[in-house]
Amino acid sequence: MNPITTTLADGFWHWLWFGSPAKSSSAVARIGDELFMYTFWLSVAWFVFLMGLTFYFVVKYQRRPGKKLTRSPAHNTPLEIAWTVVPTVFLVYIFFKGFWGYADAIVAPANAEVINLKAQKWAWRMTYPNGAESPESMRFVYTDAQGNQVTSAQEAPIFVVPAGKPVQLRMSSMDVIHSFWVPDFRSKFDIFPNRYTSYWFQADEPGDHVVYCAEYCGDLHSEMYAIIRVLPEPEYRAKINSWAIPWGDGLAAVGKVLYTTKGCSACHSVDGSRNTGPTWKGIWGKEHEMEGGGKAVVDPNYIRESILVPGAKIVKGYPNQMVSYQGQLNDRELDALIAYIESLGDNPPGPGAGYGESAESN
Amino acid sequence: MTTLHGEIPGAHGSHGGHDHHDGSYLDRKGGMVSTIIDWATTIDHKKIGVMYLVAVLTMFFIGGIAAMLIRYELFQPVRIQTVGEMAGKATGTDLATLFGQKDMSVAQADNIYNRVMTLHGAVMVFMFIVPGIPASLGNFLLPLMLGAKDVAFPRLNLASWYVYVFGSIFGILAIVMGGVDTGWTFYTPYSSSHADPGHWRVVFMILAAFILGFSSIFTGLNFIVTVHKLRAPGLGWFDLPLFVWAMYSTSIIQVLATPVIGITLLLLVFERLFHVGIFDPALGGDPVLFQHFFWFYSHPVVYVMILPGMGIISECIAVHSRKQIFGYKAIAFSSLSIAAISFLVWGHHLFTSEGELAATIFSALTFLVAIPTAVKVFNWIGTLYKGSIQINTPMLYTLFFLFTFSIGGLTGLPLGALATDLHLHDSYFVVAHFHYVMMGGTVIAFLAGIHHWWPKMFGRMYNERWSMFACVLVFIGFNTTFFTQFFLGTRGMPRRYASYPDEFQTLHQISSIGAAILLIGFLVHLAVLVGSLFAGKKAPANPWGGLTFEWEADSPPTTHNFHHEPIAKHGPYAFDDVVPPHCDPKDYPLADPLPPGAKAH
Ligand code: HEM
Ligand SMILES: [Cu+2]
Repeated sequence: MNPITTTLADGFWHWLWFGSPAKSSSAVARIGDELFMYTFWLSVAWFVFLMGLTFYFVVKYQRRPGKKLTRSPAHNTPLEIAWTVVPTVFLVYIFFKGFWGYADAIVAPANAEVINLKAQKWAWRMTYPNGAESPESMRFVYTDAQGNQVTSAQEAPIFVVPAGKPVQLRMSSMDVIHSFWVPDFRSKFDIFPNRYTSYWFQADEPGDHVVYCAEYCGDLHSEMYAIIRVLPEPEYRAKINSWAIPWGDGLAAVGKVLYTTKGCSACHSVDGSRNTGPTWKGIWGKEHEMEGGGKAVVDPNYIRESILVPGAKIVKGYPNQMVSYQGQLNDRELDALIAYIESLGDNPPGPGAGYGESAESN
Repeated sequence: MTTLHGEIPGAHGSHGGHDHHDGSYLDRKGGMVSTIIDWATTIDHKKIGVMYLVAVLTMFFIGGIAAMLIRYELFQPVRIQTVGEMAGKATGTDLATLFGQKDMSVAQADNIYNRVMTLHGAVMVFMFIVPGIPASLGNFLLPLMLGAKDVAFPRLNLASWYVYVFGSIFGILAIVMGGVDTGWTFYTPYSSSHADPGHWRVVFMILAAFILGFSSIFTGLNFIVTVHKLRAPGLGWFDLPLFVWAMYSTSIIQVLATPVIGITLLLLVFERLFHVGIFDPALGGDPVLFQHFFWFYSHPVVYVMILPGMGIISECIAVHSRKQIFGYKAIAFSSLSIAAISFLVWGHHLFTSEGELAATIFSALTFLVAIPTAVKVFNWIGTLYKGSIQINTPMLYTLFFLFTFSIGGLTGLPLGALATDLHLHDSYFVVAHFHYVMMGGTVIAFLAGIHHWWPKMFGRMYNERWSMFACVLVFIGFNTTFFTQFFLGTRGMPRRYASYPDEFQTLHQISSIGAAILLIGFLVHLAVLVGSLFAGKKAPANPWGGLTFEWEADSPPTTHNFHHEPIAKHGPYAFDDVVPPHCDPKDYPLADPLPPGAKAH
């Protein structure tokens, strides 16, 4: 690294622009900050020179009544060539610097830990190499001017990654275009519904980093957060092993895990509060009023249909925003989710009667 | 010097019966009703220009209200306040409260913001800034500057105004029906399969953009033919005012690029209505294809937005510093080369979605387009050298333009460089950058132009002190609003967000306060200009000592523009040697005559 650019990517001015140093040791973060600060100082010099000249001319050549005009040449070829060529040299430099940083950002090292990332309206999901998914989440908590504790609107899932090891995300979307942006890593890439794209980084220090969705994706675009939690590698391994699905603990327990890992929690609450979709608390066995008249009893068939064909019956007051989970959940997982919703009902779980007809009951 | 000049269609036939030949074009023809009919059926380019001016400024006002709503919402982040045992209560959903909705989920509140944000972008782009300068000032001035009586196809010109209004009605209808939340870019598959499924309003908004395209094409065609065919005797290509060059380049882009967006938007409508799989992968389409089509139009159109502004700045800087434009040909050719290169850089909007090779090529081409743009700025500053500079509202706005447009241009560099764009793309840095270019560039130039030609258009002088005061307010408001957004972007604030983490709040609040100052500045301008129509001094024919043909006409011009067909005897900026028409030589002392045998430049 060259000492001048290193100094640029440090200190007060760098803090003013970025708030904090880049937290990723992937080369793009470093080259990006240095290039940005280099471009910034170049622009400042250029801008001050041009505006200084303008100001000087404006003051010096003010119109004075009766003063004759002064002739001056209407063009000057050497000058014009100079002011075309000199900026070009700087631009070529910026272009190449930008290209090198980009090349590093795009091509992941071969030894990277590959993690799958799914984006959907409006949640993120990571699937680790062992098949586990994160059940943990958090809200940002702040103290407001009156001293009250306030929290962010949306829950952010917590994804763990190993420190000091390159991580490559294999990203795809279940619905519209999203974009994975971690400002601390100084890089983003779009996520499409019809292909995989890649994103890689290497974070050396343990710590939390916020993920934003940077491509507009509808209602809750601005709440589509996640936390990347960098852990020492052994802790990371232990964590993802502990997240493996607890099949031994009973279906409802599995359902509870799936509720967060599969992204249901983005739209459905389990405490009765209102969200994009109806809450799950106390709905088991109750009747839902449907859009366009009719009622449906919340029973296993209704739930199964709502998960696989969300548009078939729409609860009044909740325009359909859900994507189908057909192919995303297997039968065992569906059973688990149904058991979990049952466990949230007002009556303790017991044998239900006559599921067969109620699916057609409206 | 060769000159082409043909019959001036529409100038005689349709007005033959009237004896208003020498009256001002603003003279009323009879009572209220006949005046309205007269305006509604006019084929006079000046009246059409004025009608466009009113129409686009109305749209600017609507878009501006949306901007204020956006800034109002962003004054506070959205948070959940924990209240004892209760799960929580959302705070800071200010727009929802403003619309009378107290208990809304965050999703419903965000939904309102998303609609206002789309409304702002779509109105500002499609209904204000793209047609803005060419259709209003361009229509009014182009024939005057060429010494012609009208544009080449006056009826087509009127048709373009009606098409514009018709298209805008569709847009307004979409808004009245509940608004659209796709963003003005209509990215697929969100816009084609997800946004408001089954509703017509998205289709209406898309159709609005589609129809408005025709009005651009009509105006563009008209201007190209007019410049080729209706130049006054003696007016060669290199005697054209630079505003005319700018209009000419703009028109070429409009005619070539607009059909692409037209077809793209139609495909989008097909996909929405008939589920033909073009862009939505669920139907077998490709979402990135839409982005390529969209930016193949929308990038050149960025130059449709800025080139007319550059034309205005060239006029203002020459006239108000009484100086030959430095490097006239360089400016004229850079307009044309910008127009050409602008078709090759669309991919720089897709650095985070396209392949590596494409990204690299588009990045290189992007830097290429920066060069002619920079050259223009140098030329303008060079023009000030040894000038005779008068500080008034148009000149103040011209300097304002040099300041903000330079910032807009320089902040384009980290967006064009690949490594830095990966971070900055779709962040507030982009929002700040394009406002510095579109608003700090085009809108500011538009304001310079409105003040420069206001006396010509309406025959009245405005109050110079008050409008300079308003200009200072706009300057302070603008920079406060948008400079903060650069820091928001680099620090990690994504665009199109209705809420945000608390660490961004201070910068957002400064930005919102700036927007309020900006609003006050605009309102003062409006009051000063409207006031001038009633109480302003009568404007002389040539208040600034301009040399281009429009200053030979009366203020306001007569119905047929000129009493005699003007003949070009000197260049458009020969201030050193020519006393401006209608001006007293005492007020406009010339340079010492050239020694015999010396060549004038
Ligand atoms: C009164 C001054 C203005 C203010 C305060 C303002 C403010 C804003 C804000 C806060 C956004 C939202 C950014 C985001 O969340 O992505 C925005 C977006 C935008 N503005 Fe403005 N703006 C103003 C004037 C203009 C003008 C004059 C134009 C164009 C001529 C314009 C064009 C746009 C466009 C195209 C967008 C993007 C909308 C989108 O992301 O879909 N704005 N503006
Ligand atoms: Cu998203």
